[in-house]
Amino acid sequence: MKIHNSKKNLFLALAACAALALSACSDENAAGSADAESDNPNSITMSWPRDIGPMNPHVYNPSQLITQSMIYEPLVSYEEGGEIEPHLAESWTVSEDGREYTFKLREGVQFTDGSSLTSEVVKKNFDAVLANKNSHSWLGVINVLDKIEVVDELTFKMVLTQAYYPALQDLAVVRPVRMLGEAGFPEDGDTSKGITEPVGTGPWVLDEYKTDEYAVFKRNPDYWGESPELEEVTIKIIPDAETRVLAFEKGELDLIYGEGVVSMDSFNYLKETGEYTTDLSDPVATRTMLVNSTSEKLSDLNVRLALHHGFDKQAMVEGITLGLEEKADSILSSNFPYAQEDIEAIEYDVEKAASYLDEAGWKLESGGAIREKDGQPLELELIYDKTDPIQKAMAETLQAEWSAIGVKLNIAGLELTEQIERRKAGNFDLDFWYNYGAPYDPHSMINVVAEDGWGVSEAHSNLPMKTELDEQVREALASTDETKRQELYGTILTTLQEQSVFIPISYMKKTVAYQNNIESFEFPANRDEHPFNDISVSK
Amino acid sequence: MVIYLIKRLFAVVPIILFAIFLMFVLVRLSPVDPAQAYLAASNIHPTEELLAEKRQEFGLDRPLIVQYFQTVADIVRFDFGNSYVTNTPVWQEITTRLPATLQLALSSILVAIIVSVPLGFLSAVYKNSWLDHFSRLLSYLGASIPQFWLGYVLIFFFAVKLDLFPVEGRGTWQHFVLPSITLSLALIAIYTRLLRASVLEELEEAYVLYGRTRGLKEKGIMAKHVLRISISPMLTGLGMNLGKLLTGTIIVEQVFSWPGFGRFFIEAIFNRDIPVIQSYVVLAACLFIVCNLIVDIIQLYLDPRISRKGRAQF
Repeated sequence: MKIHNSKKNLFLALAACAALALSACSDENAAGSADAESDNPNSITMSWPRDIGPMNPHVYNPSQLITQSMIYEPLVSYEEGGEIEPHLAESWTVSEDGREYTFKLREGVQFTDGSSLTSEVVKKNFDAVLANKNSHSWLGVINVLDKIEVVDELTFKMVLTQAYYPALQDLAVVRPVRMLGEAGFPEDGDTSKGITEPVGTGPWVLDEYKTDEYAVFKRNPDYWGESPELEEVTIKIIPDAETRVLAFEKGELDLIYGEGVVSMDSFNYLKETGEYTTDLSDPVATRTMLVNSTSEKLSDLNVRLALHHGFDKQAMVEGITLGLEEKADSILSSNFPYAQEDIEAIEYDVEKAASYLDEAGWKLESGGAIREKDGQPLELELIYDKTDPIQKAMAETLQAEWSAIGVKLNIAGLELTEQIERRKAGNFDLDFWYNYGAPYDPHSMINVVAEDGWGVSEAHSNLPMKTELDEQVREALASTDETKRQELYGTILTTLQEQSVFIPISYMKKTVAYQNNIESFEFPANRDEHPFNDISVSK
Repeated sequence: MVIYLIKRLFAVVPIILFAIFLMFVLVRLSPVDPAQAYLAASNIHPTEELLAEKRQEFGLDRPLIVQYFQTVADIVRFDFGNSYVTNTPVWQEITTRLPATLQLALSSILVAIIVSVPLGFLSAVYKNSWLDHFSRLLSYLGASIPQFWLGYVLIFFFAVKLDLFPVEGRGTWQHFVLPSITLSLALIAIYTRLLRASVLEELEEAYVLYGRTRGLKEKGIMAKHVLRISISPMLTGLGMNLGKLLTGTIIVEQVFSWPGFGRFFIEAIFNRDIPVIQSYVVLAACLFIVCNLIVDIIQLYLDPRISRKGRAQF
């Protein structure tokens, strides 16, 4: 009898535990879920693939750019066509030697903790960034930033070690140069270890947050600028692209926005249903092939030109990206500053490609499929990120296309970090490469052409005009003369095109799909900025 | 019984140590440098100085043997370190996400038991009936349908088309339904067959015949004797699967945006977030051991013959 009872008790206990665990947790979250789906008609819900992170404006992963840009604001903003507009800084002057920028801050700007935006707070932000200069050395302005001097309550001076024309563009990026309020700083002021709370001046305030589930942002009632029409934005964390589309179809989401957030098939499916609005942004970056001129076979310009002419770019881009990307003829698309309209495209021409190879001495033996020179086959290796289906499909297409001109292309799928390591070590013939987009380009792109450490300058080091090219880049970055700079950009971009050390493939675009309750939507000019300020919904 | 438990608990130590060793070796066999992976994930250009700084910060510049003993010493003190990526204690990351995974695993097990016990039992009792054929079909389907596909199909029909359940997320009881069914179908497939085979075997035993000749009611024989004993192999399977479920809900968590530990772990692998990976391995090892232990104890209660055998060994 005793044994019987203990058995019974054991089962009862187990069942009770299970029920308790399930019900307790369900109750705990029921509230959260209800809150995530707002009843407010002037609100929208969108999805994002990853948790928004700790919202520290001075560090990177895992904080997400899109939400960082909702809370924190820059001194200047990047607008359409590369125009730099005043933002937290109302105006600025640049010294003649280009080394001193004097900024006048906007008056009456408040952080969400109630404190005012002053030169002291700006200095505190820059000092926190400079304390970890190494982590931010990828950003040109941080590299040349000597100090911040407070002139008066609303005026401060940014002193550079050398003239650097893109300083303002760099100040428009989302991280690490946006302003955190005093209350957000830890006691020792070192934000690299974390912040106490996300205090910004931006139009949005983080109202509710549940790790890996959702974040609710409310409109900042004390915002200094024009208030967004929307009152609330809920960001649901949905890591899977297909689930995102299903949630959107069901109406659980109002908006799907970003780069690569839905598969190309799904985007076209949503477009074809006719029930939603879909759109593509202007080009945000260029998908490019980096050609290693130090590789013996690719040191010959004729071989590089042959590869450039030797594939049907239009068909490849259309076929693989299903129209979501656009064929690129130049490494810089026309919506970027200093883009060259007159750069001559290198068009698909198999005969031309074959004659370049003949000229270079790579001959096709009768009955052979691969060209040879001095008994060596024309064999090249293309490395790609194996987790990227577009890179893989393009690598396979190029393999087929180039085999038609007698080039054997071996393709190697690598983990992203290995791909970067091999690029830096120069251990490749061809590699996929992307420029950085707005507001980073074109200065970041030409910077890596001249500076070692990224693997690009190293890959171009065999060019006969490499020294002049580097000199032109440095001159362009330091030049305070707009006309001169325009001219230098023209020369640099033309050289890169003519030398075919970059083979531009396609212009990448952002995608958006939204429900019919959204009346207006505009893509932000800055690649990393959020789009919520310009969204309005039917009420 | 107590000695048995103590013995089992002591056996945990070498298993955990071996798991740590294996994890340590495997992570370092990868050609990817965690410092490089961290910077790549953060979109920061990896300069040599920055890489060196990160390696030093992560303690990866020290000799391997020092790193290994440090890892073991930290884990013994229950110090799992900070995640490279989030810079917060791994233990905190685990405790934030593990409850969600536990709930999902538990609810799937419940669904699996509720469906497979009656189905497996009845398909043995009514062998070759339509119910038996149905359970066979269900088992084939459960064993062969990939979980992610099943997840999408269930979402498509029951969430999008019929609007009965939410597509994704966690919160109300409705959120549990689709992911639990997705996870449990594979378990139902196994348990139903296991129980059916086991019941058929028991039905041939002499005690069933003896019971019948004594004039005991058929229901009584089945419920009190046959089912109680036949359920034993299923419980063993359950123990093994509970550990697997707690660590293997990754795909379902991804498809249903379930905020569990699996998703966090997958990102940790891509980012080579070593403290998270090693904590996960240790946790998984502990979970497997504990789950098996619990099942063994339940079996001791259910089938006294095992207990007697066990005692005979001591």
